Amino acid sequence: MVLEKDIFKEFEDIVGIGNIDDGEVITNVYAYNWCMEIFNYMEGKEPIPFSPIPKAVVLPSSTVEVQQIVKLCNKYRIVFKAQSTGLGPWNQPSTDNSIIIDLRRMNKIVKIDEKNLYAVIEPYVSGSQLQVEIMKYGLNCHMPGAGPQVSPLASATSMNGPGFTSPSTGHSARNVLAVEWVLPDGEIMKLGAYGLKNNPDFFHGDGPGPSLRGIMRGWAGTKSGLGVFTKVAVKLFPYPCSTEYSVKGYSPNYDFEIPEFMKLYVMDCGNFKKLETVMLRVEEQEISFMCSYLSGFAVMAIFSNSIESLMDKIAIGQMKAPLVVIIAARTQREFYYKQKVMDFLLKKFKIKNIIGKIYTPNPTFYAEALRSNLGLHGFIATGGFQSTKGVADTANVCLRSTKSNIPLKKGFIKQGVIVNDFGEGTWMTSYESGHYFHMESPTMFDQTTEQSVSGMAEYMEKSNQLDLLKHLGAPFFVEGTRMHELFGPHMSNYHIWLRKIKEIFDPNNISDSGFYITPQNK
Amino acid sequence: MSETRIYQELVKIVGSKNISNDPKVLEEYSEDLSFFPKKKPKYVIWPRNRNQIQKTIKLANSLNFSIIPVSSSSGPRHHGDTIPRNNNSIVLNLSKLKKIINIDRKNRVVMIEPGVSFGELIPHLYKKGLKILTPLHPRSSKSVLTAALEREPIIIPRYMWDSSDPLLCTEVFFGNGELFKTGTAAGPGSIKQQKKSGQAQVNPMGPTQFSPFRLIQGAQGSIGIVTWATLKLELVPSIQKVFHLQSENIEELLDFQYELLKYRLCDELLIVNNLNLACLIKEDSSEILQLANSLAMWNLIFVISGRDQLANDKIDYLEGDIHDIMKEKKLKLSNNKSKINKDDILKFLNQADANPWRLRLNGGCQDIFFISNYEKITEFIALVENQIANNLGIYIQPINQGTSYHCEFDIYYNPNNQEEALYVKEKFMKTSIDLMNSGAFFNRPYGLWAKEVYERHEDSTYRALKKVKRIFDPNNVLNPGVLCFDD
Ligand SMILES: Cc1cc2nc3c(=O)[nH]c(=O)nc-3n(C[C@H](O)[C@H](O)[C@H](O)COP(=O)(O)OP(=O)(O)OC[C@H]3O[C@@H](n4cnc5c(N)ncnc54)[C@H](O)[C@@H]3O)c2cc1C
Ligand SMILES: Cc1cc2nc3c(=O)[nH]c(=O)nc-3n(C[C@H](O)[C@H](O)[C@H](O)COP(=O)(O)OP(=O)(O)OC[C@H]3O[C@@H](n4cnc5c(N)ncnc54)[C@H](O)[C@@H]3O)c2cc1C
Repeated sequence: MVLEKDIFKEFEDIVGIGNIDDGEVITNVYAYNWCMEIFNYMEGKEPIPFSPIPKAVVLPSSTVEVQQIVKLCNKYRIVFKAQSTGLGPWNQPSTDNSIIIDLRRMNKIVKIDEKNLYAVIEPYVSGSQLQVEIMKYGLNCHMPGAGPQVSPLASATSMNGPGFTSPSTGHSARNVLAVEWVLPDGEIMKLGAYGLKNNPDFFHGDGPGPSLRGIMRGWAGTKSGLGVFTKVAVKLFPYPCSTEYSVKGYSPNYDFEIPEFMKLYVMDCGNFKKLETVMLRVEEQEISFMCSYLSGFAVMAIFSNSIESLMDKIAIGQMKAPLVVIIAARTQREFYYKQKVMDFLLKKFKIKNIIGKIYTPNPTFYAEALRSNLGLHGFIATGGFQSTKGVADTANVCLRSTKSNIPLKKGFIKQGVIVNDFGEGTWMTSYESGHYFHMESPTMFDQTTEQSVSGMAEYMEKSNQLDLLKHLGAPFFVEGTRMHELFGPHMSNYHIWLRKIKEIFDPNNISDSGFYITPQNK
Repeated sequence: MSETRIYQELVKIVGSKNISNDPKVLEEYSEDLSFFPKKKPKYVIWPRNRNQIQKTIKLANSLNFSIIPVSSSSGPRHHGDTIPRNNNSIVLNLSKLKKIINIDRKNRVVMIEPGVSFGELIPHLYKKGLKILTPLHPRSSKSVLTAALEREPIIIPRYMWDSSDPLLCTEVFFGNGELFKTGTAAGPGSIKQQKKSGQAQVNPMGPTQFSPFRLIQGAQGSIGIVTWATLKLELVPSIQKVFHLQSENIEELLDFQYELLKYRLCDELLIVNNLNLACLIKEDSSEILQLANSLAMWNLIFVISGRDQLANDKIDYLEGDIHDIMKEKKLKLSNNKSKINKDDILKFLNQADANPWRLRLNGGCQDIFFISNYEKITEFIALVENQIANNLGIYIQPINQGTSYHCEFDIYYNPNNQEEALYVKEKFMKTSIDLMNSGAFFNRPYGLWAKEVYERHEDSTYRALKKVKRIFDPNNVLNPGVLCFDD
C-alpha cells in the first residue's frame, strides 16, 4: 500500500521534496526491527522480524511540520508512528495504513542551561552527543541502559528509563522538566513553564495545577501512542569525576586512561539475603555512581567484547551474588571518604573486592561505564536478547523475582531454546541512592531459528504469568491492548482509565496504539 | 426537599455525630486568610473510613452536590482553595483519619492517612532514626499528606529528585467514586499481598503507561480524594553542622548556593531575608524586629551532615571541599559572624511549630509565591520591593535539585486593621499580576490567582486539563471552580 498521489503531495508540501519516501526499499527497511519476530509470534503472527510495511516515511524538520503531518494524518485517517533513533520493536507500526514520522532531522541541542542544571533537546540528539557538550560544564546526563547512541528525549518522554548510573542519575521519567508535545489531534502542548505566554522557559514541567506529565507517561512511556514529543528539558547531574577523557586506538580495543578518582568494586555477597543488606547499606551512604546486582554470567558479559573473551571469565561467573559498585569523585577528599566507607562496609560484611586481585578489567570498561555503554554487552553471545520482568519497587521484591524466575528459565534452557545463563541472568539497579530498585531478566536467544523464537516467546508469557500469580510487580512490557487487558483487572482496573485517556485525547485513533491501548470500539 | 435528603443520607453514611450544620462550624470553613470571597458550606462531615468516603462521593454524584476535601485538623488556611464556590457544597474533613499505617526503616518509606500532622509524625519518625522531607518550619497541625499533594517545596533540594517528591504512591477515590491505587501500589495484588512479596510502594510511577498521581498532585482536591499515601524518608544524621552566611548582596549568595547544589554538598539549603529569618527564630514582634535589624539583608542557611561511624569523616570532606569553592570564588563570607544560635536554626529546620512563623510578626500574612529560574530571581525581588516597601519577608528555596527556585514574598500585616488589610489586598493582586506579566510561573494557582494564571498560559493547557477533569470527575463534584475548572 502506498499513499495516493495527491496525499503524497500534501505530505511533501509540508516537509519538502526528498524528505518523504514511499518507495518499496525504504518502506521495507523501516518494517524491520530487532526482536520484531518475538512480538509477531506473541500476537499469533508469523515469527518474522518485520512489522506491517508503512505507506511512507516522512522526515519533518520542525515542530510545526510535525503538527501539520499529524493534522493531515487525522484528515485522511492514516495512523502515524513516531521514532527518534528507532531502536527496537516498539518503533514498528501496528498497521500498514500508517506512515513513519522519522524525527532524525530534529537533531538540535536547543540549549544547555548551566545555571539551572538542565538541557533542552530535540528527538534525534543522542545521549553521547549531549554528554560531550555538557561535560564542558562539569555536568552529566542520565542515559538508559540501551546506551549512549539512543535518544534521551525518546527515553524521557516515550520509552522506559533505567540506566546503569541510576543510583546517581535516577530514571528518565523523573528527570523531565518542560516538554513540547504535538497531541494526536495536532494541538501543540507546552508543559509547565514553557506554556507561559510571557517569557516561556523550560525550567519546570508541572502545572499550573495538576501535572500533565501524568498522562504523558508512567513507568513506561506511551511509545508513540499519544502524540509526538518534539522537545524536552532534562535535568543534568554533576559529572562524577574529572571530565578529562583520554582515549586512543580503534573499536573495540580502545586505550583509555582511567580518571583519577574512580574505583570499581565487584564483590560476591554469597546469597541474596546478604546481597540485599549490603546493597541497601551501600546506597544509604550515598556514595555510588553505579550500584548494580548482575548475575555471575552478566558480570562476565559486561567485561567482554567477544565470545572468546567471555569464556576467559568463567571464574567470575562462579560468583553467587555479585554486587558491582563504582565510586567516583571530583576531589581527593571526596574519593578518600568514599573509599573509606567502602572499606568499612567490606569489613563489616566480610566481603572482598575481586578487582585488582582476581580480575583486572580492561580500562575501556571505565570509559563504557562513564558513557552508559554497558548494555551493548547483552548482544555478545547470540546477537539476540530480550528482557522479561521489569518490576520496580524494593530491593527485596527484585531479588524475590530473580529467585522465582530461575526454575522457570532453567526449564527453557533444558529445551535448548534459550542460552544457558544458569537461569540467573539478571540486572538489578538501585535508583536515587537506593530509594527504589528495578530488576529485569535479559535472556539471550537465537533470532534466526523459529524454535528459539517460539521458545523465548513462550518463556516470556510464563514469566508474565508468574509475576501476576506471585504479585511480583508488573513487568516492563505491559503494553498493547492484549497485555493491558490481562494485567488491568489485577491492577486497580487501570486499563479502563488509560483507555479513557486514549479516547479523549486521540478521538480518531491516529497515534499508533499498537504499543499503547486501543479505544473501546477497536 | 433534596437538601434534607442530602442531610439524611449523609447522616446514614457517617452518623449524626460526624456531621455538622452548626452555623458556627460552617462559618469557620467559609473564609480563610486569603482574600477569597466568603461562602459557607452546607455541612461539614468527618468520615471515619474509606467506605464512608466512597459512599459520600457516590451520593454527591447522584444528588448533585459538591465535595471539598480538607485534611489538616485546624487552620489557619491561607489560599482560598477550600472555600465553597457554589451553594451546594459540603466539606469532607479527613482529619480524623490519623493512622500512621506503616513505618518502614529498611525501605525508608512511611504510609500515612491524610489526618496525620507534622507535629505528630516528625517526633514519631525521629525515634526510629528517620525523617520526613518537610517544607520550611511547617505548622504542627498541618497535614503531611496534603503538603506533599500540593507540591509544597521541601528544604533539602538535593533530595528532590523529581518535583513530585516526597510523594510516592497513593490510594485515591476519583470523582466518580471509583477506588484506585497509583504507582506500584496498583498491583498486581492487594497491599497485603504486595507486602508479602517484599514490596513497600516506593515507586510512584505507573501503573504501566501513565502516572495518575501527578494528576492528583497540585489539583487542590478537584481530581481525586487521597485516603493514604506513601512518602519517602531519609535517615536522621548524627551530626548536623549549620552554616549561616550573611550578605547585602543576594547575587553573591545565589552564586555560592549554586555550587553547593551542583555538587550535592549540603542538605538543607535556603535563602531568607532578615525579616523572615527573624520570624523563624523569634515569636514576639518586637523581638523579631530587633533581630531583623541586626541581620544583614540576605541570609544563606545550609547544613552539612554525617551519619554513622564515619560521620566526622564526611563532615571533614564536605567542609574541605566547600572551603575550596569559597576560596576559588574569593568569597569573604564568614560563618562566625552570625549572632544567631545554631540550635535555633536547627530547630526551625528540623521541627514543626504550633505558632505559624508567617503569623508571628503582625498576625496576618499574604504570601505570593511562584517558581523562577536562577537568572530572574533578582529581577522579581526588585519588582516586589518596588511595590511593597515595608514588612516584606522573602524566602528563596532552590528545588528539584537546583533546576528551579520557589520564590516567596510574605506581606506581613495586621488583619484587624481594615485600612491596612485593604491596602494589602490591593497590593497583593497587583504585585501578583505584575509578576505574572514578567514571566513568574505561578504553578500552584490558588484562589484569586487561578483565572489570571490560566489567562497567561497557552490555551492548550487548560483544554487538556479540562479533558482530564472530565475523565476522572465526570460530574464535577470534587471542589468545582478551582483552577481552570470553572464550568
Ligand atoms: C538493537 C540492535 C539490533 C540490531 N540488529 C541488527 C541486525 O539484525 N542486523 C544487522 O545487520 N545489524 C543489526 N544491528 C547493528 C546495527 O545495524 C549497527 O549498529 C549499524 O548498522 C551500525 O551503525 P552505527 O551507527 O552504529 O555505526 P558505527 O558503529 O559508527 O560504525 C559501524 C562501522 O562503520 C564504520 N563507519 C561509520 N560511519 C562510517 C562512514 N561514514 N564511512 C565509513 N565507515 C563508517 C565505523 O568505523 C564502524 O566500523 C543492530 C543493532 C542494535 C543496537
Ligand atoms: C540492547 C538494548 C538494551 C536496552 N536497555 C534498556 C535499558 O537499560 N533501559 C531502558 O530504559 N531501555 C532499554 N532499552 C530500550 C530502550 O529504552 C530504547 O530502545 C531507547 O531508550 C529508546 O531510544 P530510541 O532513541 O531508540 O527511541 P526510539 O526507539 O526511537 O523510540 C522508542 C519508543 O518511543 C516512541 N518514540 C520515539 N520518539 C518519539 C517521539 N519523539 N514522540 C513520540 N514517540 C516517540 C517510538 O515510537 C518507540 O515506541 C534497551 C534496548 C536495547 C536494544
